[in-house]
Amino acid sequence: MVDKPGIVGWGSYIPLNRLPLDEITRVWGFQPEMPSSLNVREKAVAGRDEDSVTMGWEAARNALRRAGIDPSLIGAVWFGTESKPYAVKPSATILAEALGITPVTMASDMEFACRAASEALRISLAAVSSGLVRYALVIGSDTAQANPGDVLEYTAASAATALIVGPGSEAAAVIEDSYTYVTDTPDFWRRAHQPYPLHGEGFTGAPAYFHHIVSAVKGLFEKTGLGPEDFTYAVFHQPNGTFPLRVAKMLGFPKEKVLPGLVTPYIGNSYNSSALIGLSRILDIANPGDTILLAPFGSGAGSDAYAIRVTEKVLEKQTLAPTVDDYLERKKKIDYALYAKHRGLIKRIR
Amino acid sequence: MPMNYSVPRAWRERKKYYRLEAARCLSCGRVNYPPGPVCRYCGSDKLEKIELIDEKARLITWTVIHVPVEGYEEHRPLIIGIVETLDTKARLLTRIVDAEPSELSRGMILEPVLRRIREDGEAGLIHYAITYRPPIKQV
Repeated sequence: MVDKPGIVGWGSYIPLNRLPLDEITRVWGFQPEMPSSLNVREKAVAGRDEDSVTMGWEAARNALRRAGIDPSLIGAVWFGTESKPYAVKPSATILAEALGITPVTMASDMEFACRAASEALRISLAAVSSGLVRYALVIGSDTAQANPGDVLEYTAASAATALIVGPGSEAAAVIEDSYTYVTDTPDFWRRAHQPYPLHGEGFTGAPAYFHHIVSAVKGLFEKTGLGPEDFTYAVFHQPNGTFPLRVAKMLGFPKEKVLPGLVTPYIGNSYNSSALIGLSRILDIANPGDTILLAPFGSGAGSDAYAIRVTEKVLEKQTLAPTVDDYLERKKKIDYALYAKHRGLIKRIR
Repeated sequence: MPMNYSVPRAWRERKKYYRLEAARCLSCGRVNYPPGPVCRYCGSDKLEKIELIDEKARLITWTVIHVPVEGYEEHRPLIIGIVETLDTKARLLTRIVDAEPSELSRGMILEPVLRRIREDGEAGLIHYAITYRPPIKQV
């Protein structure tokens, strides 16, 4: 049995522009208390020259800096997104080439709404454990789409996170165990050739988000004998700023264990980066011996629960790349007009 | 489907745009970007490939384009600058991103970042290239 695999490098990226959510209220006439009811103040907006590939590139560069490895040693590039620049043509090969990983590597794009990158993480753990590859690069990156005027527009945001999975002996955090729970639950979808997703309104909560995360985390607890008291931090998928706190309460985690990894109130929901950027922020500040429960979720629907133990190597890696807080502090507020320009919402009459 | 930009050319130039692949002259030591078959400084054909992707650069000069050519309209105003890499002293013509013209100053340090620089219409290739921006953490 080889040693348990872990995270040898991590990194995130948040675009410069932030749209205060009061701007969406001003333009579309929602109730003024909508942003506070979602516990989200601003959302990060990718620029006109950014997409899930460019954001994933920067997150992966930060992860490579922390891993300190030759990129050509990476044997798999798995890209989780629901905002692919091409419908057909892998984003993963663009990233592998631009990061210096090609040509001897696996590379593909994965799709499972917000959970694709987490599935990539589970597969990476298997690939590293089996000896198939020494290192695997997992990237979760999205420029989330929302129909202008839909309530989803409040939270659909842009950011990316990358994890390099490798041998536990080199890792800043070892993945001790994991558990996955999926069902066919139609809470959120986007049909082919449709620019914006539809969602099942109230259906996105109880039968989707809460049922799947609670089931995955309880499954992990039963499998391992662990409980909420065994974790220093808990990170859940964060479609808004309230769901993670509610699911934490249902599972017996105090909010003090959740708040350090709760990034959505500052940038919105970054979909495939949503839970992972919370993990990234915790790794930025974690101490050796800390334990982290990570539970991403994706519509359609499914959730994974991971038990993670931070090692002494985390300290030497924390300063090797910009932290999530560095990106949170670097921001430029924009209004709805500039947001419309950046997101390509302006229609030209020809 | 007509393409405005040659697909083979985009493929051939990908390392130049993604990794800043350049040519160091083994005779005079200068770094050529973009790389060519001979050194543009001394004419030698003894060159080695290097990558500039891990280097920060110093801003030499810049201009702002308000009326760009077709394909770049959505990106305006475009800031185009000349930068010099800190270690290899290569000079590059590049796009400057994530900055207003008023935020730029001669000699400021910039860092490389991959951006989407052009789309070949609605159906053609999307072109990515290294651009430069003020660092996330000021040095």
